[in-house]
Amino acid sequence: MKSLAGIVLAGLFVLDQSGLCLAQPAPAAAPSTRDAALADDAQRLADKIDEIIARRWKAEQVIPAAPVDDAAFMRRVTLDIAGKIPAVSDLHEFLDDSAAYKRRHLVERLLESPAYITHFSSVWRAVMLPEADTDLQMRALVPGFEAWLRKQFSANASFDAVVREILTVPVDPRLAANPLQPQSDVTPVGFYQAKQLKPENLAAGTARMFLGVRIECAQCHDHPFDDWKREQFWGYAAFFAGVERDQNAAAGALDAIKELFGGRSLSIPGTDKRVVPTYLNGDSPQLKFRDSPRTILADWMISEQNAYFARATVNRLWGQFFGIGIVNPVDDFTAQNPPSHPELLDELARQFVAHKFDFKFLIRAITASKTYQLSSRESDKSQQNPRLFARMALKGLSAGQLFDSISQATGFHESVTNRNPFGMMNNTPREEFVRMFEDSNETITERQTTILQALSMMNGQFVADATGLEKSAALVAIADFPLMTTPERIEALYLAAFSRKPRPDELDRLVLYVDTGGPAKDTRKALSDVFWALLNSSEFLFNR
Amino acid sequence: MKSPIHSAFPALSRRDWLKLSACGTFGLSMSGWLSAMADEARATKERKRSCILLWMSGGPSQMDTFDLKPDHENGGSFKPIDTSVPGIQISEHLPKLAQQMQHCAVVRSMLTKEGDHTRATYLLRTGYLPQGPVQYPTLGSVWSHQLGSEESELPNFVSIAPYRFLSPAAFGPGFLGPKYAPLIVGDGNPNVGRNADYEKTLQVKNLAAPAGVIAEQTDSRLELLAGLEADFAAGHPGTPSASHRAAYLQAVRMMRSEAVKAFDLSPEPEALRDAYGRNQFGQGCLLARRLVERGVPFVEVSLNGVQGAPGLGWDTHQDNFGAVQKLSETLDPAWATLLDDLKTRGLLDSTLVIWMGEFGRTPKINDMKGRDHFPAAWTTVLCGGGIRGGQVVGKTSPDGMTVAERPVAVADFLATACLALGIDPMGQNTSNVGRPIRIADPNAKPIEEALA
Repeated sequence: MKSLAGIVLAGLFVLDQSGLCLAQPAPAAAPSTRDAALADDAQRLADKIDEIIARRWKAEQVIPAAPVDDAAFMRRVTLDIAGKIPAVSDLHEFLDDSAAYKRRHLVERLLESPAYITHFSSVWRAVMLPEADTDLQMRALVPGFEAWLRKQFSANASFDAVVREILTVPVDPRLAANPLQPQSDVTPVGFYQAKQLKPENLAAGTARMFLGVRIECAQCHDHPFDDWKREQFWGYAAFFAGVERDQNAAAGALDAIKELFGGRSLSIPGTDKRVVPTYLNGDSPQLKFRDSPRTILADWMISEQNAYFARATVNRLWGQFFGIGIVNPVDDFTAQNPPSHPELLDELARQFVAHKFDFKFLIRAITASKTYQLSSRESDKSQQNPRLFARMALKGLSAGQLFDSISQATGFHESVTNRNPFGMMNNTPREEFVRMFEDSNETITERQTTILQALSMMNGQFVADATGLEKSAALVAIADFPLMTTPERIEALYLAAFSRKPRPDELDRLVLYVDTGGPAKDTRKALSDVFWALLNSSEFLFNR
Repeated sequence: MKSPIHSAFPALSRRDWLKLSACGTFGLSMSGWLSAMADEARATKERKRSCILLWMSGGPSQMDTFDLKPDHENGGSFKPIDTSVPGIQISEHLPKLAQQMQHCAVVRSMLTKEGDHTRATYLLRTGYLPQGPVQYPTLGSVWSHQLGSEESELPNFVSIAPYRFLSPAAFGPGFLGPKYAPLIVGDGNPNVGRNADYEKTLQVKNLAAPAGVIAEQTDSRLELLAGLEADFAAGHPGTPSASHRAAYLQAVRMMRSEAVKAFDLSPEPEALRDAYGRNQFGQGCLLARRLVERGVPFVEVSLNGVQGAPGLGWDTHQDNFGAVQKLSETLDPAWATLLDDLKTRGLLDSTLVIWMGEFGRTPKINDMKGRDHFPAAWTTVLCGGGIRGGQVVGKTSPDGMTVAERPVAVADFLATACLALGIDPMGQNTSNVGRPIRIADPNAKPIEEALA
């Protein structure tokens, strides 16, 4: 049964336009027979995950954490798939739902929501165009590239096709569909601009992203800790050697590019040795005059002969949901950095290939596993090794997740209305906030807070408005609704910020504070203090 | 695998938290929370020296600053002038600095290999080349970690107007973690260096509580927060909650600190402010002095752009001479006044001032009257604390193309700076991959003769 607070908030959040339109699934989204069969496969893979993980627990005498309750599951999975905390109205609906497979159904709804498309586009943009997070000039490439990614995710394009398009997209304006307006259709060409069209950058970037290997240090010398040789690096880079640009043109400019096909070669800088396109496994394809080396590379990249591609991709996706890869860091597959669960990596990769590189299939399987559904609360010392997945790791929120979650909790709507999915970026509160909270730390389970971020959360305008009695829609509704008791108001704040009800001890403490009005001797201001504390707390700032 | 933050801030037990966080009563003041942190950090190192790094984004031309070759066709149009030290000549566009040469050791024989902004910036600012998964911390993080105190009210590392975009990883705390990240003020965008907005950007943002929130309310908000954190951290030990607490405590400490007035330059005499130069770099140097005066062990000030010189800082591929003159006219008064001001206040003996960019520039002048990237023979300068001033180290060939005497590698230079600061360059930190990393490259040979 819904509490009074729940009803108020449900009313408030009916207007939620946040893109998570859980209420009306499109008719076309009704599961077809094929989907139902796939869903069973997903459950089978989930069981396999649990079996492999549990085998290791047994061997290492690990006692896993408790399973999460529905509320915590919904918060976690909504952050992971849709990039923000759930709306309170959706949370109530989910908690009241008594269907047998409601967690699977929730995942299905989330995967069909526009927020999945937006969030995954933003996550994979950060993976593919990391340059844009640190280089102002490169930032201009983000809208176009994200628009292209959104197109892929909304069509649920298979990941091999996504990567093939990146590797083969025409960059020579003479070869583009419309040479006068090469940008008229969305394309992944920003990838090439972000790598400054340099073979060495393209080699390092594609190897890291699609193969999970960091070969860039072999650019200048043989890899110090691994088997990569300098010649291998440049051989791989030679697949991109046909891309030539006018050296005087601005970095990343597209109009000065030519691409020549056939067997191109590159010379290793500082030597007179020339190398021809060579896969990382050492084989060299026979290139004919009209062959595009990039197309040949793409064919190899996504083929079954390439053992790296599927493994690197499932590992990255696993890392996205667990905070830690099976190989960790997720793009550092080396002999010295073995996977924690090799057979699990193999199984995930095998199933990913069998299901045509379908992200949604993997997401269904991962989120259906008991391993994913473990609590993040440590209940036994044996859960301390994060590589054993015996409790869910705390995952730092990305800047975008944080902003969108604050917006969700406080009823702030700017993020949606101003963010035209295909529009240009502008200086919105979201953009400013994202810049402050950008974090280059790759490991989200090691996310750390800076002083300036703490100051911004404590005193910055955005959070001040979100927790103030003038502009915060959620807070004002909760503080001013006449029929609510203090415990109900506090419960409403907890649901909005933490997606859970307060425990009795928390409630006792806070009711006393609010009823006495805090230092301002004003119960409304005291509620604002409570909301401020909730939004500044670790429980809000991390995905638990 | 333990990250540094664990050892610096061992998780408080639930009982500790309960003691602090009132549990239903709200009489406890914030100072209890803070003093507990102070106790955690009891193993504080004694304050040693301070360092001010003047970072020259883009790579300054040695041929037109400290290593002029007036008799060679590579020399260009600038004239050398005499300095306060007989026998040492520098550019005519650095006249005020010329009078401070007794404090400076000019290293004319830098020999490095990296000619790309990204890699060279990383090398000069971390002491290492980017290598696999190891995230090397920037000098300010490493050295302030050695020199700083956990209890200080101001951050141990302040970075003024960094331009990070060419090599972002070279500006961060790397494996040491955000506790050792710089507090950044100022705007690194080269265009800001060119206009008058700097006054506002040199302030720390969001230090005051939001309008309408009274001081006592801030206290009780923090107590509410402490209560929530106690519960949460007890069940979720690890880096994220420890780091959250550390950052909030540092932030609160700053909000309540008198020392934060350091960022307000208005009490400084107008004449002194004028002497530093009324631009972001000049006022940034003044701010650096104010911070060092209040015990901040590492401050860096970046010079990324000046009025009349387009593009990024010292990256003078075109019109080198026009740009370097303009840049020198900003650099000269700021740097010279900084040394003089530190000296007047008795701080110069304990403050090392380093001048460097990521590389030098080609002796040969290109078709656009510019000079390109050149790592094979270039100049850096060490001044002040720990340095035997009034000397030149090394020598380049008459055309400037090669190092003729006493080549100095990056590691040698940085190890020298460590020694001047009283830091053991062979000290170790544990990296993110578990491998111990020396503060300076173990192969370094410090420049003994540059040390006091």
